[in-house]
Amino acid sequence: MSQIKEQMPTLIMGGSLLMYGLIAKSGALLPMAKYLQTHKTMDLQVTMTLIVGIIAIVGALINTTRKSGTTNIDTFILRPLGGIVLILVMAMAIRWYAEPLMKLISKGLQPALGFKIYKVLNLNYVVLGILAGVVLTNTWGIPKFAGEGVKCARFVLKMGVIMLGARYSFAELAKLGAYSVILVGFFVLGTVFLVLWLGNLFKQPKSMTGVLSAGMGVCGVSATVAVAPVVKAKSAEMAYTIGTILSFGIICMFVFPTIGKLAGMSPVQFGAWAGTGILNSAQVAAAALAFNAVDIETLKVAEIFNITRVLFLPIIVLVLATWFGKETGQKLSFKSVVIDKFPVFIIGFLILFFMSSVGLFSPPSHYKGKYIDVSYNDRSQVTPEEWETLNVAMEAGEFSGLTPTQLEAVTNLVSQHQIAGNFDDRNDKKLFDKTGRARMTQLQGVLAAAKAKQVQLSADVKGAIKHAVKQVKKKSKTVVTLTDFMIWFFAFGLIGLGMQITKKAITQAGGWPIVMGVIAGVTKATLSFFVVLWLIKDVVLN
Amino acid sequence: MSDKDKKVVIDTGEAGKGTTEISEGANTEELEERALSVFSSDRNEDIVALVFCLITTFLVLVFTKWMV
Repeated sequence: MSQIKEQMPTLIMGGSLLMYGLIAKSGALLPMAKYLQTHKTMDLQVTMTLIVGIIAIVGALINTTRKSGTTNIDTFILRPLGGIVLILVMAMAIRWYAEPLMKLISKGLQPALGFKIYKVLNLNYVVLGILAGVVLTNTWGIPKFAGEGVKCARFVLKMGVIMLGARYSFAELAKLGAYSVILVGFFVLGTVFLVLWLGNLFKQPKSMTGVLSAGMGVCGVSATVAVAPVVKAKSAEMAYTIGTILSFGIICMFVFPTIGKLAGMSPVQFGAWAGTGILNSAQVAAAALAFNAVDIETLKVAEIFNITRVLFLPIIVLVLATWFGKETGQKLSFKSVVIDKFPVFIIGFLILFFMSSVGLFSPPSHYKGKYIDVSYNDRSQVTPEEWETLNVAMEAGEFSGLTPTQLEAVTNLVSQHQIAGNFDDRNDKKLFDKTGRARMTQLQGVLAAAKAKQVQLSADVKGAIKHAVKQVKKKSKTVVTLTDFMIWFFAFGLIGLGMQITKKAITQAGGWPIVMGVIAGVTKATLSFFVVLWLIKDVVLN
Repeated sequence: MSDKDKKVVIDTGEAGKGTTEISEGANTEELEERALSVFSSDRNEDIVALVFCLITTFLVLVFTKWMV
């Protein structure tokens, strides 16, 4: 009887999921999903809720009839089942309801605030997941039936980190300008070592210092999540790091454009500074736009520097894994301190990074699965109606206000029906791609000029050019699917880790992470300000 | 009684809601870490995560690249 009582929450959750899946299958939730813009996930919602619901019910029924043993099935499936289902239900609620709702609210507040609070505060599944876990633990406490399941969190998080490797490619890093790679590389490694040194100075735990150094050096939240299991950071330390990075980034987002304008920085200089000094991608974009809303160059340079910084993640993971192994091991031999302590799951991350770099998931030169394909392809062309619009506008002389290179790009788009290189160069792929990409940049410039009202173009013409640019920007289905897995693994892992953050753990971590984060952040921002002013005089785009 | 056998009483916190006895010489950091995992060691946890991910990647490649 007591076994039935123990399994009751799992049975109720399983039943509710089944009911939700059936209602979703009937289409009754579609209007709400359309409002929340989650209608594309409807199939996944049905499949996932039905499968998890059935597993929960079957597992709970087995648990009621069978005495718990010590077999692998007991340890890894039956005992943790209640907790796993609870976390999955929370992850589904966050991914399908809380996160989209946050996006809607943030969109509504945008006119008043001037930026999207959802992006700037990073209120996505990562932060919402941790917060949900923290709230549950510190209010009702972890329910007894879920205790074992919560212990799976770190394991699932590690799977997410392995999947993260698929999003980066060495080919993309190699393609970036040497200037940005050297500059960003210097600041990334410099910040990492500065934080490690500060941690030593303030006698902070190695796990705390390690996770903060990656967060402050590379790319904020994703770097923190990736490095946390490498340096065995406690959940509270991870939460502190994310909090420090995001709040520091928000201050930078407002301060950077003001300082940039006061110092009389050029758009390229500001882009380079923001991309190096600010940690969160959305905050970099917001600062670049605040500095210069119409010139695409600032945003583009900032994005290049930002991407370069993010691409350093695999290198930093390796550096920190080695550092942590060395710091925690006894001084015996290289093998015992580094190789034996090297986290095995990071090998998985590196395997996926390698597969991604050689082009197994997507063309090698991609960033988070996105790549530009200007080859002749049905999927790259504009529609016949769009072509007609462009042709008529061309004959009517609507493009007379464009620069000669912009005009050439538009003329070529009309003659080839898509963005591409020169037809005669089609056998020289490198040259063909280079010309095509240059034309794409020119067309983006046309759109920016139209936005700034420097040229007058009809909405249809703008729409056709926008679509032409969109058509050559492709996304790899494999990387998108692997990223989906990563997101679910992260959501699960972070909710579980959030549940391990008690008030006591937060007090124990103290305020040192904030102090160290601010020192490192201010040093990086100040140094990069002077270096950018000194080194970057003109265009860094190659 | 050897050092290894000496016991200390510790507070098991929110999840355990009570106290328990552990050996005085125990590596508490290691114990704490293992108490937060269903796996008996870090290496096991890592290897299982690695194998699961490689299987997932293979299946994703089959269904999104090789079979389409």
